[in-house]
Amino acid sequence: MDVITSGALASWLDRLAAESTLIAPRSVEGVLLYRPVTSSADIARDFTRPVLSIKEFFFPATERLLTIEKTGQTITLQQTLPEGKQVIFGVRPCDARGMKVMDALFIETSPADTYYASRRENTTLIGLACKEMGESCFCTSIGGTPDDHRDMDIMLTEVEGGYAVQAVTSKGKALLEGVPLQERPGHLPKQVITASFPFPETAYWPLRFNDAYWEQMSERCLSCRICAYVCPTCRCFDIRDEPLAVGKDQYERIRCWDSCAGEAYRRIAGGHNPRAAKGQRLRNRFFCKFYYYPQQYGPLACTGCGRCVDACPVNIDITEVMSHLAEVEA
Amino acid sequence: MIDTNGNNPLMPYLGRLVEVKDMAPEIKLFRVELLNGGREAFASYRPGQFAFVSAFGIGEAPFGLASTPQRGGTLEFAVQRLGSVTTGLHELGEGDIVGVRGPMGNWFPMEAFRHKDLLVLGGGIGGAPLRPVIQTVLDNRPDYGHLTILWAARHPSLLIFRDEYAVWRATPDTELHLTVDQPDPDWDQHVGLITDLLEELAPSPKNTIAITCGPPIMIYYVDQVLRKLGFAPEQSYVTLEARMHCGIGKCGRCNLGDKLICVDGPVFSMAEAGDLLESFL
Repeated sequence: MDVITSGALASWLDRLAAESTLIAPRSVEGVLLYRPVTSSADIARDFTRPVLSIKEFFFPATERLLTIEKTGQTITLQQTLPEGKQVIFGVRPCDARGMKVMDALFIETSPADTYYASRRENTTLIGLACKEMGESCFCTSIGGTPDDHRDMDIMLTEVEGGYAVQAVTSKGKALLEGVPLQERPGHLPKQVITASFPFPETAYWPLRFNDAYWEQMSERCLSCRICAYVCPTCRCFDIRDEPLAVGKDQYERIRCWDSCAGEAYRRIAGGHNPRAAKGQRLRNRFFCKFYYYPQQYGPLACTGCGRCVDACPVNIDITEVMSHLAEVEA
Repeated sequence: MIDTNGNNPLMPYLGRLVEVKDMAPEIKLFRVELLNGGREAFASYRPGQFAFVSAFGIGEAPFGLASTPQRGGTLEFAVQRLGSVTTGLHELGEGDIVGVRGPMGNWFPMEAFRHKDLLVLGGGIGGAPLRPVIQTVLDNRPDYGHLTILWAARHPSLLIFRDEYAVWRATPDTELHLTVDQPDPDWDQHVGLITDLLEELAPSPKNTIAITCGPPIMIYYVDQVLRKLGFAPEQSYVTLEARMHCGIGKCGRCNLGDKLICVDGPVFSMAEAGDLLESFL
């Protein structure tokens, strides 16, 4: 295996930070987040996973799509496409998987989303295998593993004195050019894998549509939508215009994250709301992840990162929902 | 199916309002002349397709294309003032610029409807996306069988495309039945819901296609009556609407089960949509 020493990794990351935007796990006022770093010294080393996934670097929580300028009866539109290259270091396999899930929708389903596709093209993912699964992690239940390198450009696995390096894609190989690697005998260390839980079959979902379970489960849901906010695959959005400057006829058209758990999500002008009940909305969230999205675009819209489990203020636990459905199924 | 402006499907074409007409209280008909390359994209859109119209500075919303390209090179949209975008559009006048993205969605298979009798049921502003169906029949009269239009509104003043009824009625093999649930003193036609009118007329399902658009609750109950009259789900088409923000299958908002109204619809046969209608109501 090829190994990069911890010292060489630090200088390589410093170089990447100087040449492009380097995004890495960093403690921001005690909260671990992926954020731009200017020095490898700022990067957190010992972590399970940051609080938010890497999706915001491809699909920002709020992004400008275009600017609008009105001059009399004339309208000038200027599209604002993302620019610049970025490298994300310390990507967990669940988050890289999340990008593959989003690719199926934003890139592989025509027409491609210009903004997302451009950022994907200009970003290189340097993965870091998890040494063990976190308390709420369940990637192994849905086809992932803590050391899954498939969706990375480069995969790093911690070994004695450094990291084993796998160049996964040509983009990854290109980024590794000139980086000093040592050849060492031996194999990649095995990661600690926790047991997976039973998972309901896709074909089984439609039969569960009218279950009273959804309504019961939703009684404690606050419709706060934090589950979608932290989710590496939730991608629903809203588009609207906002004024750019007070007193000027200049606006920006923005796209921002939205969630099917919110009351206003399906409400139309005039007040009609086909998903007025929380149970209907919660059901849609789980159906989207495990039935609709796979039907529409292929992959499951869940990567087993467990963030929604950690974030939910009323302990709605996706693994508990799955286990319940799988039990009823059996 | 989606024509994009450059390569960015979220970038609108610009269009100039060449006519803004009051059709009813709070309902205006906008006629749009496309400016920057949009004409090519909209050269051959089909009955049932829709487009996003921008009121710049506020946002954009989907509207059914209310005419056919055969009727001229401009686009028509019937807009009822209800939310922020429709309010923004209502504040615009002739000469003002709007944004247009599209054409989007699927369409009524008018070729497959040839030589069949058509039963068109429009409720309120829901009549707008059905106008291209009516226009197609009127402009190609020998290709289609009998056309029966059931046109409903809450109040006589809210009936849309009123100045076209005389032409519809004068066309051979075409009948128009109007109904309102709150008549005014001058009203001399049917009073009641469109479902009452449909039950009274009891059209035969033989060689007939029903096409419905209106409020969700109307679509649901019209479907019930059509089934009672013997219409098979395959003979009954609807065009649905939902809150949506992209029109190209990305924003996730308009799902009807595992279907998306924007790309799998808005036109569905009841064979496709029947089981999913629950999540539309």
